[in-house]
Amino acid sequence: MDTVGSMVNMRAEEQSFHVRYRMEASCLELALEGERLCKVGDYRAGVSFFEAAIQVGTEDLQVLSAIYSQLGNAYFHLHDYAKALEFHHHDLTLTRTIGDLLGEAKASGNLGNTFKVLGRFDEAVVCCQRHLDIARDMNDKVGQARALYNFGNVYHAKGKSICWSGAEPGDFPEEVMLALRKAAEYYEANLAIVKELGDRAAQGRTYGNLGNTHYLLGNFRSAVASHEQRLLIAKEFGDRSAERRAYCNLGNAYIFLGEFEVAAEHYKRTLQLARQLKDRAVEAQACYSLGNTYTLLQDYERAIDYHLKHLIIAQDLNDRIGEGRACWSLGNAHTALGNHDQAMHFAEKHLEISKETGDRSGELTARM
Amino acid sequence: AKSSAVSSSSQILHPDGGEMEPETMETKSLTDYFSKMHMGSVMSRQ
Repeated sequence: MDTVGSMVNMRAEEQSFHVRYRMEASCLELALEGERLCKVGDYRAGVSFFEAAIQVGTEDLQVLSAIYSQLGNAYFHLHDYAKALEFHHHDLTLTRTIGDLLGEAKASGNLGNTFKVLGRFDEAVVCCQRHLDIARDMNDKVGQARALYNFGNVYHAKGKSICWSGAEPGDFPEEVMLALRKAAEYYEANLAIVKELGDRAAQGRTYGNLGNTHYLLGNFRSAVASHEQRLLIAKEFGDRSAERRAYCNLGNAYIFLGEFEVAAEHYKRTLQLARQLKDRAVEAQACYSLGNTYTLLQDYERAIDYHLKHLIIAQDLNDRIGEGRACWSLGNAHTALGNHDQAMHFAEKHLEISKETGDRSGELTARM
Repeated sequence: AKSSAVSSSSQILHPDGGEMEPETMETKSLTDYFSKMHMGSVMSRQ
């Protein structure tokens, strides 16, 4: 090749290098902005930046894996599970192709969580097992704990998906109880590791879900013990949302233990926290629970007070189903007090709302 | 022991079987990836 020819070649190579360099830089800039937006909870904007980063492209497959993974997680938080599945699947294929085991474990974990939400439990189990196997092979304790927690969640969701047809906690078919017992075993296995690691935040999450599993199994004392632990850890972290969840779950367990006064105290703490957190829907739920608890205590004046509070919030939130339930409960409480006019007023209101919302059983109850 | 009053009311109280903790998603952070790469190149220069 002559001198001119080799100079032309060098210039072309330089140009190609610059194009690739600029492409990589802009892909990375877009992806980093997407990451920043997702960190602050703006998943919609984050998705736009990640999609743009993919359009520009990158030759760094670790970067591409991170983009796929974060896009999958962003869609997961946006409840677009079909898209989440698509991107976590791309991530899994990519990590397998490049032989990135740690990346494959993470992609499997995310894919498992997505399958779980979609109710595809068998596929979720396969993903959780892969996540766990890799973590064990790599002697990665944190990874093992996370896979075990996900496993617990899959079996809990599987049990719950088939159990709710009028049956009560502890009285579900054997298939359901089996899934719930498996969930409890996985949560216990997770707890053994996270305790060893001293990871209090992870312990808190597991205690919360273990408490709910014991509750469905009908082990209400164990449920209380787990939720008490969850509450303690939530307070350590100043995590008021978790604290509120724990109080509400404790209230539910005490109802089944027949300790209605204790349940009411826990629901009152739930209500206080819901108000502090300015969560109107949860505030409404807490009022409803308190109204029902005071009905069980046959303190109908207080029951009416809480059901009216529930009714007002349901109306504010334009929640017609909640409004219907409040009217039904108010009708019952007024009947118990012998306030027949008021009882009739709320029964009629309940009937009207049941017709509107297509609640056939509500309509039949109202007619009775 | 559960009374019938508890049984019938319990379904109205909490039909979803308790509030669950959030899922833990695995993260692959680009920021972490590049700070590790940067640290690696600084270490190799020393």
